[in-house]
Amino acid sequence: MAKVSVERRVEIAPADNGWAGRFTAMGSPCEVLLDEAGQDLTCNVSTDVAAEAWRIEDKFSRYLDGNIIKRINKAAGTPVEVDEETAKLLDFAATLHELSEGRFDITSGVLREVWQFDGSDRIPDVAVVAAVLERVGWGRVAWQRPVLTLEPGMEIDFGGIGKEYAVDRCAGIIRDARCGAGLVNFGGDLAATGAPQQRPAWKVGIEGEAADSTDKLIDLRAGALATSGDARRFLLCDGVRYGHILDPRTGWPVQDAPGSVTVAADSCTQAGMLSTLAMLQGGKAEAFLEEQGVTYWVRQ
Amino acid sequence: MKTRMSVIGLVLALSAGCSSMGVEPWERDVLAREDMQLTPDPIEAATDDHIYFSKEASSGGRAFGGGGCGCN
Amino acid sequence: MPSAAADAAATDMTTLNRKLAAATCALLGSALVTPVDAREEPDWDFNTSLLYYGEDGDRVQDLSFKSLSRRLFTDDRTLSIGLTVDTLTGATPSGAIRQDIPQTFTRPSGNGSYEVPADELPLDDTFKDTRLALTLGWRQPVFEKGLFDVGVSASKEYDYLHTGLNASYAHDFNNRNTTVSAGFAFAKDSIEAVGGAPIPFTAMRDVGDLGNRQGDQDKDVLDFVLGVTQVVSRDLLFQVNYSYSRSEGYLNNPYKVLSLVDGVTGDTVQRTPGPEGGPSGVFLFEGRPEERTQHSLYAQAKYNMSGKVLDVSYRYMTDDWEIDSHTIDLRYRWPIGDRSYLEPHLRFYTQTEADFYRLSLDDSVALPAFASSDYRMGNFDGTTVGLKYGWKTRNDNEMSVRVEWYMQSGTVPADQVIGNQAGRDNYPDLNALIAQFSYRFSN
Repeated sequence: MAKVSVERRVEIAPADNGWAGRFTAMGSPCEVLLDEAGQDLTCNVSTDVAAEAWRIEDKFSRYLDGNIIKRINKAAGTPVEVDEETAKLLDFAATLHELSEGRFDITSGVLREVWQFDGSDRIPDVAVVAAVLERVGWGRVAWQRPVLTLEPGMEIDFGGIGKEYAVDRCAGIIRDARCGAGLVNFGGDLAATGAPQQRPAWKVGIEGEAADSTDKLIDLRAGALATSGDARRFLLCDGVRYGHILDPRTGWPVQDAPGSVTVAADSCTQAGMLSTLAMLQGGKAEAFLEEQGVTYWVRQ
Repeated sequence: MKTRMSVIGLVLALSAGCSSMGVEPWERDVLAREDMQLTPDPIEAATDDHIYFSKEASSGGRAFGGGGCGCN
Repeated sequence: MPSAAADAAATDMTTLNRKLAAATCALLGSALVTPVDAREEPDWDFNTSLLYYGEDGDRVQDLSFKSLSRRLFTDDRTLSIGLTVDTLTGATPSGAIRQDIPQTFTRPSGNGSYEVPADELPLDDTFKDTRLALTLGWRQPVFEKGLFDVGVSASKEYDYLHTGLNASYAHDFNNRNTTVSAGFAFAKDSIEAVGGAPIPFTAMRDVGDLGNRQGDQDKDVLDFVLGVTQVVSRDLLFQVNYSYSRSEGYLNNPYKVLSLVDGVTGDTVQRTPGPEGGPSGVFLFEGRPEERTQHSLYAQAKYNMSGKVLDVSYRYMTDDWEIDSHTIDLRYRWPIGDRSYLEPHLRFYTQTEADFYRLSLDDSVALPAFASSDYRMGNFDGTTVGLKYGWKTRNDNEMSVRVEWYMQSGTVPADQVIGNQAGRDNYPDLNALIAQFSYRFSN
């Protein structure tokens, strides 16, 4: 999540199907596309959507003082009582930790202290990683709704869930506005609230090998798409490529993860989790997605 | 010759005078339907064009694509 | 891995997604979750059809397979491949008039003759032909609001070869409400008439005699189209096109003749056929001008009336052969539910005869420079009545079936009817059945 100094503004511009509302949130370019809505309606709905996106960003940002995340991470071993929304997210994280057999872990954020994926060849010492790993592990957390107690030195980070969760919440805002079919797209994680009238579906392009090319075109009529990618941030040392998806059980990058995984599911949160869990399976990503019976696209 | 020039003039005048008509992009829902396309069934159109080209002295009208046969 | 453990592992995996779905529902509330529908856009679009065309009275029958395949590339670029295979059988009027006595004619190849009973319209049934046609097209969006099309075409039947090239450009204006387009097509055709193209106005000869025949002939055709499409409202749009067409070269039908008749009785001048067989009368091969210029004005409108669509078009054609024609075409698409429709169709056509159209040639006056008794050059009306039914299959592919009846009836200008011709039915009216089945699917 980016620092909050980025300007917060909603721009309304004409788009192919009608009007689009655009703003920046959670470090990504975000857009709201409404089918069959005029400029004013799009402005109102986009403003509400942006407000919700920024609310979630501020609430769970690591950089803001005084929010719930800061209080939890600075608690140094003392119990913290959380609100209903945070409690639901913690329940969700707990379930995911169990379902993924420990591969998904919201306490793994501290590993960023020793891993900087800047394309260089500086990989950390085994000992250094092992030391940080002492502060990682959902198993060490005491979660008794609504009280959360972390061990001193531990931190939680909703970065792996936050954007997709925000997309689903914002899709809900569009549905409640009853303004026809809409698409919420936060930097490639997106959800549609219905098929547009004009063309039979929202056309979503999945990025190809080159930066600006579109490899595949997907017709989205309902539901959501989320992408997890490993292609851009990595380290290269002694001919071995270290992708930036870290396995919280070992503290080291997942081996043989695909370049990018896109999953289609009923909600963006579910799609996001499936693509993340697939990446965490490394070389077994495709087999994992096949067994789940979901619609997916994998690029190596 | 004269008829030809005045017809071309009519077509161009039509296109100039058409600037006030139309719909906004988000009002194109009906127009995007397949049955509202000028040629919704290209195979049927090509079939009819060929049948009537073979049996009558007139041909075409719409934009074309590949004609010619020994039937006339 | 032992099979029991493998099965257990497999079951674990699929319930993972279900548990994940349940956890997501708990997080978001079920109102924010809708069943997903995401599909990769199909690369290929196939449009195929089987057509039967049959004229009554032992005349032309055609069975045709047609396919149009389109491959979509990124950025809306499209490759189109068209294929048509026609098999034609049946007879076609030779251009000679009825007589109250039997008549014999030499076949176009010169290798035989055929007899026509008294009072019957002379039909030449020599033709059993197969035609193959191919088109290749490329469409590419250019300059943000433009569309460029380019294509080639070719067709072959045993006596005719066509090759052609076409290109067009369309540009959008006024918020895509107005489209102006311009295009051209150029064709080079070659006629390899069976037995050789006969010299116009020479007589049909006995079997085995190809003395009045020439070699292969050429025909060039140049077409231009200029058009405007305009959106009027949410439910209405129209298109107006102007077309210009110029043909040069061999424009005759090499197999058609005119009967040379007595200036008083109107009966065909008789002759004695040769020992191997031959014509029983004097039949002169037709001759048309070597140039033809056509102008057409075409207008079409599509109007949506609460889900039902009316498609109406009108075309006016005039050329330097003095032919004028009017065509009115009406279709009404009536949706039944959201997966099928019914579409009745009406078409009215009328044309005036070419200035060189003759029912027969009068032997008491000088021959004209050009003459043809081809019914397609005459004065006639054509009416088409049809019905089409279309539906979506379970995999969302489209099928349709249509049945149509096409009736042509013509008149010969009164001043061309000579003597005994007056009592006869001189114009070969046409009645044809059109039946077509189409299937459209993507992959």
